[in-house]
Amino acid sequence: MMPEPEIKLDSMNTDRMTVIMGPQHPFSHGLWTLKVEVDGEIVTDAEPIIGYLHRGWEKECENRTYPKIIPMADRLCYSASMTWSHIYCMTVEKALDVDIPDKAKYLRIVADEICRIQSHLMWLAAVGTDLGNLTVFLWAMREREFFLDLNVRLCGARMTTNYPRIGGVRNDTTEYFDRDCMRCVERFEKRLWDIIALVDDSSVFVSRMQGISRLTREQVANLGVTGPAMRGCGVDFDIRRDDPYDGYDEMDFEVPVLKEGDTYARYMVRIEEMFQSCEIIRQAMKKIQDMPRSAPYRLKVPSAVPEGTHFARLEDPRGESLMYLISDGTDKPYRLKVRSPIFVNVSAAKPMVQGCRIADVPAVMAMVDMCLGETDR
Amino acid sequence: MAMKYLDKYPKDTAKGLWVVKPMWTVMKLFAKVIPRRSMTIMYPYEKEWIPDNYRGRPGLQFDKCVGCGLCARMCPTACICLVETTDDEGKKVKRPQVNLGRCMMCGYCAEYCPVDAMTVTPEIELAEYTREDLIYGPRRLRFEGVNEMMEVHIEEHLISNVQKGILDQPTSAFEVDRPVLEEAKCIGCQKCFKVCPVGAIEMYEAGVNEKGKPKKIPRIDTDKCICCKNCVDDCPKSCLHIKEVL
Repeated sequence: MMPEPEIKLDSMNTDRMTVIMGPQHPFSHGLWTLKVEVDGEIVTDAEPIIGYLHRGWEKECENRTYPKIIPMADRLCYSASMTWSHIYCMTVEKALDVDIPDKAKYLRIVADEICRIQSHLMWLAAVGTDLGNLTVFLWAMREREFFLDLNVRLCGARMTTNYPRIGGVRNDTTEYFDRDCMRCVERFEKRLWDIIALVDDSSVFVSRMQGISRLTREQVANLGVTGPAMRGCGVDFDIRRDDPYDGYDEMDFEVPVLKEGDTYARYMVRIEEMFQSCEIIRQAMKKIQDMPRSAPYRLKVPSAVPEGTHFARLEDPRGESLMYLISDGTDKPYRLKVRSPIFVNVSAAKPMVQGCRIADVPAVMAMVDMCLGETDR
Repeated sequence: MAMKYLDKYPKDTAKGLWVVKPMWTVMKLFAKVIPRRSMTIMYPYEKEWIPDNYRGRPGLQFDKCVGCGLCARMCPTACICLVETTDDEGKKVKRPQVNLGRCMMCGYCAEYCPVDAMTVTPEIELAEYTREDLIYGPRRLRFEGVNEMMEVHIEEHLISNVQKGILDQPTSAFEVDRPVLEEAKCIGCQKCFKVCPVGAIEMYEAGVNEKGKPKKIPRIDTDKCICCKNCVDDCPKSCLHIKEVL
């Protein structure tokens, strides 16, 4: 591979130009704008502009009863719908001080990890098109279809799952779900190597990612970046392992961490996470199969939540998501605050793209895995 | 900083033979992929198999429905409303009507139906020419071939039962939660009696009110009651409330 030529920002005295990428631009997956200032071909400054998709989600929650918010939480992010409704249910369960049954925990883990894999595959498809590799897009979308079918088998909908409930989950596993789940995971682990071969064996795509947009550990910590983007920069932190929720402490898995901090490291971390998710699904399904069919999976909870403030957080496919609930003793929340991982991650756009070439901007920002539904809410 | 899976993949393959390698990979994958069967179908002629628990449009079992309106109150998008219609015997009844233009297929109407009359259906081809056609009346909501899976049941366990170790008695709010009356507040307006869809409330004479006139207060038949909360919502003096069993 060709060595990366050193870029000096002050050496070229060309005119600065502002390029507005978005909101209708093939690189912006969603409705957002990246205002890029370029010096020749080198990016000197960048400013993300968001807010095109603001729907007043948090305010709308304030006049809905608690169960009605679950399908709304699904729509925060279409590809991570399960984790968003999961975090909402976890928050309300904390407020109610309810400990959910073991079977519900494992079912949630299975659904969460299916959601994580399909979300990462959606990201991989987007990266494929951003790098100009259409086969990756088609293959990733094809593999994703099997996980969406698993979602249908489990909860009846492809993407907006509406599966967790306050106090458990909606339904038990349906007939043949465990068989399908195991087969799907096994098959996916084999097929993922094909997709890796398509990207990793080709210097065209690797050289567009390697050594570009380096962030250090300190930068990442100061910017508040979470999720795979953080782990690609050498910060060894995953809420599933370090602050386990809902039965993740019983799962045996590794958290992929790379210290390179470039775009390629973020790509590798996400790919490895998909393999780890397959392992978690297998372990959780094993635990569900060991349980009797009649084991409880949903508790009856009171409709009114006692007064207080509570929060819960979990590892979203994109980073750390958090919900903060203020309840006033009625059956409607007084205030529900969402901490979206992408809202924070995209604020790191400037240090990420500074010094890159303008042609690299799509590849760099693809690693943030933008989702505007949760950013603007 | 080890990767359990990705470390198995040969590193830096892109560096050596940098033109030949990707071509070789593509040819190898082409040979691997080409014998596989096609992943796409000719959609309007062939259709994908849809499982029974698929959450398509809501369906209604007209004769099972009691017209309690819980689906309308539970609907997050407020796309269900109750309309007056006549049943097979010519009696005036209230039945839900769904505006599918607003429905988000969450399946709450099926899940929270106390008599399992609302169902989810695997029907997904819902395109119409006008918006008015998207409004499904009670008769149009019917779906042939409803099975157990489509009537989504709630199988909740009481927290007190789980703590005691009783794990084989799944129940739901419709079976255990019942309205209770604060007799002192009741003015005997009979609104709850009129609104109850299953006739679980009967009025009986209970003394006199402060003006000295005879007063009727409701008595709730707990076996007939389905906990639809209509009486609680309609009570003008809010003297009825649901007692939740936990």
